[in-house]
Amino acid sequence: MSEQPDPFMLNQWFAISGLTDVGPTAKNTLLMGEKLSYRRAGDGFEVTTADGRTLPVLAQYACLWTSLGQPESGLFEIPQYHETDRRSIVAGSIGVNVSAQRGVENFLDMGHFPFVHTGILGELPHTEVKEYNVRLTEDGSEIIATECMFYQPMASTVSTEGMDVEYIYRVPHPTCSVLYKSSPLDEKRLDVIALFVQPIGPEKLRAHMVLSILDDVNADDFISHFQLHIFGQDKPILENQMPKRLPLDTRAETPIRADKSSIMYRRWLAAKGVTYGTIPAAA
Amino acid sequence: MIRLYDYDLSGNCYKVRLMLAILGLDYERKNVEFFPGKRHREPEFLAVNPLGQLPVLEDGDLRLTQSQAILTYLARAYDASGQWFPLDTPARTGQCLQWLGFADALTATASAARLADGMGFDFDGDAAREGAHKLFAVLDEHLWFHEREGHDWLVPGAAPTIADIACFPYVMLSEEGGIPREPFPAIRRWTDRVKRIPGFVVMPGIFPAILGSQ
Amino acid sequence: MTIERASGANGWVPVAASEDVIPRHVFQGKLLGQELAIWRADDGYVNIWENRCLHRGVRLSIGINTGTELICQYHGWRYANRNAGCTYIPAHPADAPPRTICNRTYPVREAAGLIWTHLDAVEPAFPALTEAPLVLRAMPLRAVPAAVEAALAAWSVEGLTAEGDLRFGDGSSQLQLYVQAVDAGQSVIRGVLTGALAGQGLVVLRRLNTALTALTRQLEAEALAAPAPAPIAPVYARVSEELAEMPGLEADLADGPGKIRVTLAAKKMVANGIVSLELKPLRGVLPTFQPGAHIDVALPSGLVRQYSLVNAPGETDRYVIGVKREAQSTGGSEAIHEHLREGDLLAISEPRNNFTLRRDAAQTIFIAGGIGVTPLLAMSAALAGDGQDFQLHYFAAGQEHLAFQDRLAALGDRLTPHLGLDPAATAAKLRDILAQPGPAKQVYVCGPGPMLDATLKIAAEAGWPDNSVHFEYFKNTQTLDDSQAFEIALARSAVTLQVPAGKSILQVLRENGIKMASSCGQGACGTCKVRVLEGTPDHQDVYLNASEKASNATIMTCVSRAKTDRLILDL
Repeated sequence: MSEQPDPFMLNQWFAISGLTDVGPTAKNTLLMGEKLSYRRAGDGFEVTTADGRTLPVLAQYACLWTSLGQPESGLFEIPQYHETDRRSIVAGSIGVNVSAQRGVENFLDMGHFPFVHTGILGELPHTEVKEYNVRLTEDGSEIIATECMFYQPMASTVSTEGMDVEYIYRVPHPTCSVLYKSSPLDEKRLDVIALFVQPIGPEKLRAHMVLSILDDVNADDFISHFQLHIFGQDKPILENQMPKRLPLDTRAETPIRADKSSIMYRRWLAAKGVTYGTIPAAA
Repeated sequence: MIRLYDYDLSGNCYKVRLMLAILGLDYERKNVEFFPGKRHREPEFLAVNPLGQLPVLEDGDLRLTQSQAILTYLARAYDASGQWFPLDTPARTGQCLQWLGFADALTATASAARLADGMGFDFDGDAAREGAHKLFAVLDEHLWFHEREGHDWLVPGAAPTIADIACFPYVMLSEEGGIPREPFPAIRRWTDRVKRIPGFVVMPGIFPAILGSQ
Repeated sequence: MTIERASGANGWVPVAASEDVIPRHVFQGKLLGQELAIWRADDGYVNIWENRCLHRGVRLSIGINTGTELICQYHGWRYANRNAGCTYIPAHPADAPPRTICNRTYPVREAAGLIWTHLDAVEPAFPALTEAPLVLRAMPLRAVPAAVEAALAAWSVEGLTAEGDLRFGDGSSQLQLYVQAVDAGQSVIRGVLTGALAGQGLVVLRRLNTALTALTRQLEAEALAAPAPAPIAPVYARVSEELAEMPGLEADLADGPGKIRVTLAAKKMVANGIVSLELKPLRGVLPTFQPGAHIDVALPSGLVRQYSLVNAPGETDRYVIGVKREAQSTGGSEAIHEHLREGDLLAISEPRNNFTLRRDAAQTIFIAGGIGVTPLLAMSAALAGDGQDFQLHYFAAGQEHLAFQDRLAALGDRLTPHLGLDPAATAAKLRDILAQPGPAKQVYVCGPGPMLDATLKIAAEAGWPDNSVHFEYFKNTQTLDDSQAFEIALARSAVTLQVPAGKSILQVLRENGIKMASSCGQGACGTCKVRVLEGTPDHQDVYLNASEKASNATIMTCVSRAKTDRLILDL
């Protein structure tokens, strides 16, 4: 199993901190086993390796991003992020003892809502994952799942009844996913919840959750509380997954129709030659 | 009205919520964003507890810090049966206090490992894990022999006490700090029993004994 | 006292104590790097499985032991006691999980207060053991198993006298120690004590525990001084090839009767004219089943008949069916009632489920007519186990015709018998029962043809949508018309075949070497269903509901034919 980043992973941008957590005093973190320190320097940011190499930086989507290699381009687009009536909040950065790709796959999964996020994102006996669509964009750069419906108790602020809520998922990056969900404030617009996963090691991740929302009612503390509550519920599942790396062999685990997006995600990772944090299928 | 200065993901806050739920007490939950906001270090909360530690319980004019002290207070104030904080024999009182001390040792080890792994705290995770492993070995041995003597709980007797409530959270959250419970089957059986105490509630990271309940 | 030491590397190894595996608990174990989920069902059976849900690899030891099934915490997949087959996938409540979703099981023996397994390819001889010993507390230690074995060979119990080998008193007590090789650098010492000393109970257990703890400390300190060995890489069971791609959930090619040999373990009258048959496997474990499933039974006369399983979840050591003696028996029911005896051998098929129970309903209504109660009993038991809201309405000629009284009694007030009603009164009662359709309500009905026809009509009039009324006919009493010839094209195999008058699609497919599952042969059970890609089927079955027929998406190949000259089938 690979302990060194493959070329595709090496040349990606990865979020390593929320921007508000970066100050003039250097902090340390790990990216794919490499020890990094990062700090605010003048008007910009600086990320260096232990052996003194300066790495490329980006300050985008409320996070500080860097790369161990040479990224071919900038970051994927999240157009909603630029809308002026939205707020973006880094809900927190949480470490989990599992591979980054297992973390992303869990983020794409709806079937666990009634069992893991009981009373919040789902509720028994409403367990059905209805048919939804998954496709790869024409240039092969991104996976998009649409018309994902799942029953949610107390789905909107105006109703105490449960109902189906629609989700759209994007996977524009091997360890990042963006989720769109109808806003409880304006049903024509969507809340955006992005998960930027920093691979600390092949079996350890740090998840940065960034929300871009229309909600002007709830305080940031409350929104952060809610997101960390959800993520805290996922944690014991993720840390009890075996193996900790995401297996790409189609016979390693049993997919069902509800797993269409994760099947495409695994195939996409295999096609891109991702070996870091995964178990590639035997040749 | 009881007021609890609380943080959702804290095991020490959770044990107070758990005790309040078991005793069927209403309370006001005042969230202090320990992570990522570090609100416990801001003047507003330092005015409540100069040590900057959660949880804090207010009941009328009384303000209490330290989760084990809060559990003791709740049991003495609101449990007329005397089950939760046993005063019936000196031995049981002593044993209960002994395990409350053990709970503090769990906070210093299992909780520290969890904060290091999960929330990026600059603690020595390996030392914390080693410390927790030793505590778990002691706890498992105690519980195994207790089972043979017909006791289900940390303190001898038919019913659970605040000692069980105090030790439960950081044992149950240990895997978040990379501390397995697989070598300790008596601990695993005991945590199952705690989950079946009437009034039991969960926190993120802990599943209920009944699938899909809350 | 003598001490015997057994290596944990090969042969049968204790991996838990009997007392560890308590009801409604999942014990987490490990042997040579393989994690084990060990759980006891309410019937006492101990299961040792790979500690990993087949779906997403989540440890089953964090799941829920319901007493009959183990439920994964992540997505609620259920696995049955004994056969470890998946019985329910909540994400797809309308579909029966393919039977091939089956957890990896390990051999189990429970003896001398310990739970034993082995990882050998050929079953090793089981050691001779003295029953009912005193079982020591298992001692976990972070040390290489071989080093632990070596240390135990030279170990003496402080305070106990050693004479050559360790002896105590008159030598009538015996201590047997086992090293469970948990991983490359992890061990568990297990032990059992028999003889006079065992009578000291806790006193001697504490004494041995103290002595083993001291040894453990010493061994762990020594282990820390040496580099830790790399953990043994676990081998995860791979899923079967047909599951690797998303299953169509219909591709269940069972081979019909003859696959499984069973003995008739018990034959009992369970109501006027109804016998129950309990079928036990000649060897091994029966395949998994889900509520609503049926099996084909090959009778000694050569006849093959379908019967629904009555079994509740977890009742996995036998299949239970109910057979009514038909007045106009064509040989099946009469043969069973008259000629079958306990101890007889029978051939049966694997269970198939074409009458799937959704478990995501807010309320479920079961309507049984006569012997049609059998699949509904299995379904009722499943929902009762989950604490879900349901009612079983059981129409029968009289009290003495109510079958499986013990199972009915367990349903309490969720059972409503309707006795001795004529067709008009039955219809009136059905109107009452079906008066209030609802979006989260489901109806399941099984019984004689006329009653089913009436129920479906009344449900439609009351406004129940097709897809919430589920039915199973015993048989197809419609007159079949096979006078038309037509052509079928098989999309996946690029073959075109002619179906002449007088032959079914199924017959033509089989004559041309295409492997097809089928069961009842009369369009009632749903086993031979195939997807239609083009063309209009002439539906002659009683399996599909009206909207399914109207959609022309599938066809029962045993009876249905074509209205167009050509059908393109997804084969």
